[in-house]
Amino acid sequence: MMDTNPGSREVDVAVTINGAQVRERVPARLLLSDFIRDVVGLTGTHVGCEHGYCGACTVIVDGDAIRSCSTLAVQADGSNIRTVEDLADGDQLTPMQQAFHENHAMQCGFCTTGFLMTLESVDSADYQDKERVVELLSGNLCRCTGYQNIVTAVCSVWGVDD
Amino acid sequence: MTVDSPMRINPMISHRAAHIGRAVLRREDRSPLTGRRRYVADLRLPGMLEVAFVRSPEAHARIVSIDTGPALALPGVHAVFTGADLDDVAPFPHKILYIQPVGQTALAVDRVRYVGSPYAAVVATDRYVAEDAASLVAAHTEFESLPAVADLDQALAPDAPKLYDDWPDNYLVNYPAEKEEVTRAFEEADHSYSDTFISPRQTGLPLECRGVLADVVDGQVTLWSSTQSPHIVRTTIAEMTGIPEPRIRVITPAMGGGFGTKTHIYPEDVVMPWISRRIGRPVRWIEDRFENLVSAVHARDQRHDVDVAYDDDGTIRAIRCKAYCDVGSGEIFMPGTAPVFVTGGCITGGYDFPNMEVHHFCVVTNKTPAGAYRGFGVPEGLLVMEGIIDQVARRTGVDRVEIRRRMVLQEDQMPYLMHGGGRIDSGSHAKSFERAAELIARSLERIRAEYADDPDVRVGVGYTNYVEPTTPTYHLTTGHWAGYDSATLRVDPDGAARVGLGTTDLGQGTETTAAQLVADSLGLDPDDVTVVMGDTDRAPYGLGAWGSRSAIVMSGSILMAADRVMVKAREIAAHMLEAAAEDVVLTNGEFHVAGSEAPSVSWSQVATAAWVRTVDLPRGMEPGLEMSGYFEPPELEHLPDASGKVNAAASWSNGAHAGVVSVRISTGELKIEDYVVVHDCGTMINPMIIDGQVQGGVAQGVAGAMYEEFQYDPETALPRFASFMEYLYPTCSEVPEMTIEHFETPAPEQPLGVKGCGEGGTIGPGAVVACAVSDALADLGVEIKATPVTPSAIRQAIREASGPGGGA
Repeated sequence: MMDTNPGSREVDVAVTINGAQVRERVPARLLLSDFIRDVVGLTGTHVGCEHGYCGACTVIVDGDAIRSCSTLAVQADGSNIRTVEDLADGDQLTPMQQAFHENHAMQCGFCTTGFLMTLESVDSADYQDKERVVELLSGNLCRCTGYQNIVTAVCSVWGVDD
Repeated sequence: MTVDSPMRINPMISHRAAHIGRAVLRREDRSPLTGRRRYVADLRLPGMLEVAFVRSPEAHARIVSIDTGPALALPGVHAVFTGADLDDVAPFPHKILYIQPVGQTALAVDRVRYVGSPYAAVVATDRYVAEDAASLVAAHTEFESLPAVADLDQALAPDAPKLYDDWPDNYLVNYPAEKEEVTRAFEEADHSYSDTFISPRQTGLPLECRGVLADVVDGQVTLWSSTQSPHIVRTTIAEMTGIPEPRIRVITPAMGGGFGTKTHIYPEDVVMPWISRRIGRPVRWIEDRFENLVSAVHARDQRHDVDVAYDDDGTIRAIRCKAYCDVGSGEIFMPGTAPVFVTGGCITGGYDFPNMEVHHFCVVTNKTPAGAYRGFGVPEGLLVMEGIIDQVARRTGVDRVEIRRRMVLQEDQMPYLMHGGGRIDSGSHAKSFERAAELIARSLERIRAEYADDPDVRVGVGYTNYVEPTTPTYHLTTGHWAGYDSATLRVDPDGAARVGLGTTDLGQGTETTAAQLVADSLGLDPDDVTVVMGDTDRAPYGLGAWGSRSAIVMSGSILMAADRVMVKAREIAAHMLEAAAEDVVLTNGEFHVAGSEAPSVSWSQVATAAWVRTVDLPRGMEPGLEMSGYFEPPELEHLPDASGKVNAAASWSNGAHAGVVSVRISTGELKIEDYVVVHDCGTMINPMIIDGQVQGGVAQGVAGAMYEEFQYDPETALPRFASFMEYLYPTCSEVPEMTIEHFETPAPEQPLGVKGCGEGGTIGPGAVVACAVSDALADLGVEIKATPVTPSAIRQAIREASGPGGGA
């Protein structure tokens, strides 16, 4: 007989996240974003819309930026995941993080981690004009900044004419 | 103590370099960059359970019965509470006596009046199970549908279904006005005409939804809530639950934006501590985006029916306006009645225009309650005023820039008394307009040339002059609170300062600007200043962050507290220097006798004497070095005079926005080609942060001008949105680049001359875009009087202008 309780089926999920091995038995329906935030405890990955639109939950899975709010944890089984917590080296910010700071490219900061992961996932050589940069950034929503300073920050690091 | 106006930095302090006025980089940045910033959804407590609210799927219905059995039977479900269980919680306060009482309860009982109205709460081991159970409660709730009203016309129809049975009609507010001079102007004017303007239903939509974590232990409530007003949440919980207020601690953790939507006190703020107390466990509720779209306040949703009297020479003689706001069900605290009054009061923008008569209406419908959103009524009014000016220009053939030039406020008119009682303290209205017009004229020429060879594209320009009332009274909004805010300032034994503020930060960099203010007012470096806010136990009572008020109230309260700290510090230093206090000055952080550099005593020596080595204090002096300032902004009025006039804002920033658009006739495609902001918020504390506020404000204004609208089914009043797919939130590709320039006209009565800048950016774009599109398509007879100006709205306007079967 089919189990009518949708939350009762559990699966093993084993991933490498920011270089550490994690193996947990979790509900099959658990979203990757909730796995990262609530099971692993990395809360820098934010949930802004839960339908894959705003990009705040962006993480890198096996090299690709994905929306962790519309991915099941079990889909990431066996993968290598990077989150925003993996960017800075201790106290040392990455050039992109530093540029966000110096260009006032964030206000409330809720979207910032998603932007950083989108940027981290690409090769800047593929984004050497401003239009391409704007197109790339258009996958992430920000409600505070009006985006202008984010574009400026990215262009300054990637050597693109702003 | 009376407040000196204007308050300045204590003249006994001199410093290598002042920090006020500098683009100090934000101290708040590192945590969001590294994923360490803690928003409410990031907080967990041991033993915590998760709550999901059950929300009405009906626009208007009676709740016949709720069977919680199936939900309670689900493994992992701890409890289900309905409105009836909260019989020991008082309804939300009703403090404004001229509006109808809605009798809002924490959870809806017996009747629901909008989709999204919370009527039950489920407590479970995790959010997934809680949502399963919430669905079961919803599935086992029997509703008896009632006829719904979806918009103003339906609500005001003679046989309209009533939302509140004991009201005579659906007016929450009906506040008439009649002015003899307006009536006379209509009799005397060469011409008159009528028009209608519409600002649709929109909202602030911070990227972080709301959320509450409540923990009640030994009768002590700790509540983490993503709110702009933690002290007001505390007072309201105490009033509704009877829990003694000192036993309630409300903490605003890092916030992911608010934009006004989080100024309101929501049912969840009250229900969550009630649940925690009832079940003896910490409980957390994190709003999801669908809930946020239907249950956090909406805003705008205004219609303005105007009559305009004008002369052949382009003089606008008088305007009569019926200003309607569709406030949804009205079930929100504070009520959503204030924005339309702000619209009415500020509708004349940056213009000298006294002959204005506004009849204000707030109307209830079966939609999400409306309330605060950045701009708070001002953008709606600007759309009307600039639209009228352009219309009169078209009708008379007088140049639209020339009409504005004749009407725009001049410096020698300051202070200027507006038709509704607003007292514009100062500003650069004419200068800002001229500069914006000059800047936009350059790009207009270039852009026209660019499209000269494309017959399908038209180019147009829009101009605006707005005022931004800042630091408003809360009394007219709440019927209860008024206008002050507070700072408690302490210098610790190591010579570093710590300030607690009654305002909050929702992402606007308040920690950084507050540290600049404290640094200059104590002669310290910003790095030596710690800022604490958003915690009712660690910061003094204050009204929070809204209404572009933080700049003025922080400046005033910090300067008051700092002056008091300085008086005592100076006495201590004088004692140590064996000098008279009045001879002691503070230079580069060291106290010394004026005219001589040595010997000196440091802040650390003074503060160590005050807290630790109290044996070093002057005989009989009370130990300690902590002082508070409770600052009530001068000139701010809280109640209207006998004629209904009130200066409801402490100061008035101003600005001129202008923009050039291109419109593709065949598709209605609209693009902002250039956008110019000339902005004046008085003395600037941190120009970088101010530019950020302007940029973000313009982006939200553009969102409202071109994209965003909550649509409801006109038959059923059911929402036609459930996600960002149906409510178009602009991305980087949609927001135009803009040029920003500033004038700095200090507020003559406010501390340091600051005015406030949180909302100005949002005010201009709706009117700029509407006027620019009308200009671009003028030869087709198109007039845009509603936002958002979407391609389909443009195509429809073109079709209508060209008549039945029109070819354009």
